Amino acid sequence: MTYNFFLGCVIPGRLPFLETSARKTFEKIGMKVGDQAKCSCCPDPTGVAQMDHETFLALGARNLCLYEESNNDILSLCSGCTESLKTVKHILDNDNHMKKEINLKLKAIGKSYKGSSDVKHFAEVLYENIEKIKQMVKIPLKDLKIAGHPGCHYLRPSEIINWDDPLNPKTLDVLIEAIGADPIDYEMKNECCGNPLEKSDKDISLSMLESKLKSMKESGADCIACVCPACYQQFDFNQREINKIHNTDYNFPVFYITELIALALGLDKEKLGLNFHRIKVNQVLEKSMKV
Amino acid sequence: MQMIDFEFRNDLIKEDFSLNYCYQCGTCSSTCPVALITIGEYNPRKIIEQSLLGLKDLLLKDQNPNVWLCCTCQMCVEECPQNVFLTEIFEKIKNMIISSGEPYPEAFKIQAKSVVENGVAIPLTPPILRRRDQLGLPKVESASIDEIKKLLDATEFEKKIKILEDDK
Repeated sequence: MTYNFFLGCVIPGRLPFLETSARKTFEKIGMKVGDQAKCSCCPDPTGVAQMDHETFLALGARNLCLYEESNNDILSLCSGCTESLKTVKHILDNDNHMKKEINLKLKAIGKSYKGSSDVKHFAEVLYENIEKIKQMVKIPLKDLKIAGHPGCHYLRPSEIINWDDPLNPKTLDVLIEAIGADPIDYEMKNECCGNPLEKSDKDISLSMLESKLKSMKESGADCIACVCPACYQQFDFNQREINKIHNTDYNFPVFYITELIALALGLDKEKLGLNFHRIKVNQVLEKSMKV
Repeated sequence: MQMIDFEFRNDLIKEDFSLNYCYQCGTCSSTCPVALITIGEYNPRKIIEQSLLGLKDLLLKDQNPNVWLCCTCQMCVEECPQNVFLTEIFEKIKNMIISSGEPYPEAFKIQAKSVVENGVAIPLTPPILRRRDQLGLPKVESASIDEIKKLLDATEFEKKIKILEDDK
């Protein structure tokens, strides 16, 4: 089985530069990943899933069908999409009655879910290739203290996501270590960034973010690394707003782990679209990469 | 006065039998990041208690505690000693709020509308398409709107949303 990308909504529609770093990183480590099929929204585990379970299953199953048709596994660039697709797959693979119900809906568009394609989070696949990445590092990101934010849907529910430790995650820090940087520990590491609550209560969403930033600052982090575009948005877009409300001075550059890996593998910094980050990244990178 | 609705309680248990296992230890609330930030105003243990008691109006109409404040982080699910799938039960309650025509946050409607109209939650705008070009990214293949519409008709998704608009 080969992989095809599942891009989701947030990355192509709002943060395309994250896609750039992911494509370049996978290419660099010698993995050919095909383009996305004609997908719809995954659908959002914090959005449509909360509105109508049946629609959640039907849209998710349709997306899975597309990859089954081309005989590919899914390599998802977003933790939310990964959770949604893994959940739909888990439910339909384990509940024959539900599978029949959803296949009746899919009949309207001439599709039928079988369960032959697998779903992987991109960081899961990078982790599988960790020895290769270690060997390929050209510019180790020395002395860079990185607060890894694994986020929620990357890990939980563990019964479905089924890979890293859901309460004491290690994989993101191992990836950070592999590129020569220093993964720091901080008290609120396992907490939610607050992004999903932007839809129902922005104040609480920002307070959750603030408590994370505070804990990162106390631990002496230089920057943040994440593996989900929703978390990325929350950290990169909202630090200034937090500073206004809380009279603080947070200014952490936020990276996707693929950006950091791409940099360590010696890919051209100018071609990664780092200039599209809201919080400028140059100072932190200069400190580490001496460029 | 709050009325007990056994049918509501049974519906929830039928959807997710793990609800029955809860012995109200409160581990969920002690691990919930939203409970922490709101100093207990949002309380997952209480939502489960009210579900078990069948306090339908309190959960669906008054929305107290407000189930929309679940951030879906699933920490409670991991920590629960009785393996209660709280996040899934809350999802079911939210589904019930919508299908019964009770109010819910506007942002969900906006997302649903975009999925119905564009197939995706965030449509590709001209500036983003230009930026994608600039970054040398390939064209994003998108779902046929017609196909998505057929599928959403099959699950009567739009009808569920429309009922709400008619009620306003």
